[in-house]
Amino acid sequence: MSRALLIAAREYRQIAATRGFWVVLLMIPLMIAVSQFAGKLITPQASVAYVLVDASGQYAPAIQHRMELSYQRAVLGDLAAYVQKWKVGSASPGAVWASGPRWFSDAEAQTFIAQGGLPAALGQIAPRLPADATPFKSAEPRLYIPVDPPAGVPIDQGPDAFGAAMAGPLQGDVVTHDGKRPLTLAVYIPKDFGASADPARVWSNGRSTGPLIDTIRAELTGRLRAQALQTSGLAPAVFTRIESLAAPMTIANPPEGRGRAQVVVRSLLPLALVYLLLITVMVTGAMMLQSVIEERSNKLMESMLACVRPSELMYGKLIGIGGIGLTTVVFWAACAVGAAFFAAQGMAADFLKPSLVALNHPWIWGAMVFYFLAGYLVVSMIYLGIGALSDSMQDAQAYLMPVVAVIMLPTVLMMAATAQNPNGVLPHVLSWIPIYTPFAMLARLGSGVSQVEVLGTGAMLILFLAVELYLLGRLFQVSLLRTGQPLKLGGVIKLIRQSEAV
Amino acid sequence: MSVLSLDHVVKRFGDFTAVDDLSFAVPEGGIFGFLGGNGAGKTTSLRMALDIIRPTSGRIEVLGRAPGRENAADVGFLPEERGLYRRMTVLDTVVYFGRLKGMAAGAATKAAQGLIDRFGLGPWSRQAVDKLSKGMSQKVQLATALVNSPRLLILDEPFSGLDPVNQAVLEELVLEMARGGSTVVFSTHVMQHAERLSDRLLLLSRGRKVFEGTQDEARATLPGRLVLTSRADPSGLAGVASATAAGPAGDGWAAWKVELKPGADAGDLLQACTASGFALRQFETHKPSLHDVFLHLVGADQEIVK
Repeated sequence: MSRALLIAAREYRQIAATRGFWVVLLMIPLMIAVSQFAGKLITPQASVAYVLVDASGQYAPAIQHRMELSYQRAVLGDLAAYVQKWKVGSASPGAVWASGPRWFSDAEAQTFIAQGGLPAALGQIAPRLPADATPFKSAEPRLYIPVDPPAGVPIDQGPDAFGAAMAGPLQGDVVTHDGKRPLTLAVYIPKDFGASADPARVWSNGRSTGPLIDTIRAELTGRLRAQALQTSGLAPAVFTRIESLAAPMTIANPPEGRGRAQVVVRSLLPLALVYLLLITVMVTGAMMLQSVIEERSNKLMESMLACVRPSELMYGKLIGIGGIGLTTVVFWAACAVGAAFFAAQGMAADFLKPSLVALNHPWIWGAMVFYFLAGYLVVSMIYLGIGALSDSMQDAQAYLMPVVAVIMLPTVLMMAATAQNPNGVLPHVLSWIPIYTPFAMLARLGSGVSQVEVLGTGAMLILFLAVELYLLGRLFQVSLLRTGQPLKLGGVIKLIRQSEAV
Repeated sequence: MSVLSLDHVVKRFGDFTAVDDLSFAVPEGGIFGFLGGNGAGKTTSLRMALDIIRPTSGRIEVLGRAPGRENAADVGFLPEERGLYRRMTVLDTVVYFGRLKGMAAGAATKAAQGLIDRFGLGPWSRQAVDKLSKGMSQKVQLATALVNSPRLLILDEPFSGLDPVNQAVLEELVLEMARGGSTVVFSTHVMQHAERLSDRLLLLSRGRKVFEGTQDEARATLPGRLVLTSRADPSGLAGVASATAAGPAGDGWAAWKVELKPGADAGDLLQACTASGFALRQFETHKPSLHDVFLHLVGADQEIVK
């Protein structure tokens, strides 16, 4: 075995024996495992309960009906998208959900309810669903659940008594047909609402209930306007016809999984790789730094250099600690792929699997692996160089802080910019600056980067790596036995140029 | 045949000349002492022999080859500044260095285990190095230098940091290596070690050679000194450079400190005294120490230890 490989094997074994390595290694599988069952636990409960008391007896049914229509319209939209995705509209060509997702009118939502709602529709399409179809899951929960007034709350003693009695219950949860929910709103509509100046009264616990209040206000306003119009002589039938009018509008969305959604899905894995790359290089870079500094501070360097060349020491460390990084990433990737194809829910099923499936060009996979490894090497060599110049971790910090800032700040800014526009100026510019190329290109890979750009930045990156390797080799040759104060940048350059002091 | 030779070697670090036109040869077998005060160029010369640093000019040969890691299989090296991988076990450490010197895994393990047992470290062979005492760690370090049974063993200030007991152990080991056929080159600024161990010596001062040869040859560079007791002043005798009265010895006799002229022999002087009837009651030659030689050749401003 060559001396570089012997050094690599020792570095690998030493780091693999540390607790820190295992903590980092198990971080991602643990996150995936937790996401399988903790998603619901960590997601804030969206739906809330409310109490509606209508002393007039005229408005509550209409408000409840309006709330139900809103909910059923959302379910209908999700169902129509699901039907289009699995191409099962032929199960009932006349059904409102058969012709794809769009804005559904009140009348269509009403028809959906009348035809048996979601259970009936799912019953119709079930026989035609392909075997690999995922179960239908509506993205829209029932946000506002009506409940009866809590026991002991007077509903016939006027709004003040009602409001005072509701103060306590509004601080807690109530049992609904969907389970326990926080009680967030109490509404009292007075007996002669509309005829007198008495307002409808609303008590809230401060939690956001804007859409619910807007719906109640719109429904009450509509009813008052209808009464006013009828009083002024408009026939009820005419009013009903006017009320059902809706501006005709068609909205063209790309099919499910295409367009912007496709870009987002395709970008998930490459973007995740950017973060993994950052974490991996920072963690293993610190290990690499510690390893070189240990040899310097433990006065091992001279013994080592009597047996191996500085370049062999450098290659050995790069290979060994690079192996640690690769082990980590391959293990993470294996866990992610395994989870994506075997998990039925959670992060893996919701995000990883669609992203893996969407990356359907082999060259993208090749580019992802290349940029990841190249990025790993670019940063690792910087860490090794710092280690070669430092007598202690304290010395290393002096070099490390500016280096980390130079790498991290533009990368984080670029990631934020990429989320807004993957082909914006900053990601484009950073793609051609070698130290940022791996991060920027990985971030952009899912959004349709041309193969020419991949080849161009790739060639430049290889050239940069060759230069970096050469400079690091020189630095190793001249600095490993150097002692004294940490050098400034000019001193480092002077040291590298000292060919005589090999 | 020489196992190590330097031919007009110069090493400069910027404006500073660490080694200045140094030439010497270490013959195979025996123990070669590298003497000099701090900054004399001992470590720099040894590092150049190991190819850790390269000379500015001149030529170096190690075991008949140019310096380089190709020689690592036949060379053992114990640096002045010593350290080990703290979390590696004793056995793994010694085996690792054996393998870096080109040994096969099995041979390295066997040799390492043998050395560990010989140094009394057997019970600790599976312990991490950071669990060992300082003395034990130094033995492990020495084992890493010896694991490949080197033809040439280079020790840079090997006795520094060792307690007297371990110094004696190391001295015995150096002698044993030499008896086993290895050539030992060691640097030191402690004259006693050099005096007890060295067959040949190289004295360095400020990067330049001031002497190379055996201990007797080194002592011969000093004028002979002796103490005699006589009735008459010995200043006029042939070969005497000076004679200083050291006090009366009773009954007309007086003690004298005598320094001989360069090249003059104490035996010749005694013979001349006997032949000429110069009455003597005491004739005691004084053998100069290496410390005296060093002071004579280098001067008193160098940091050395008797």
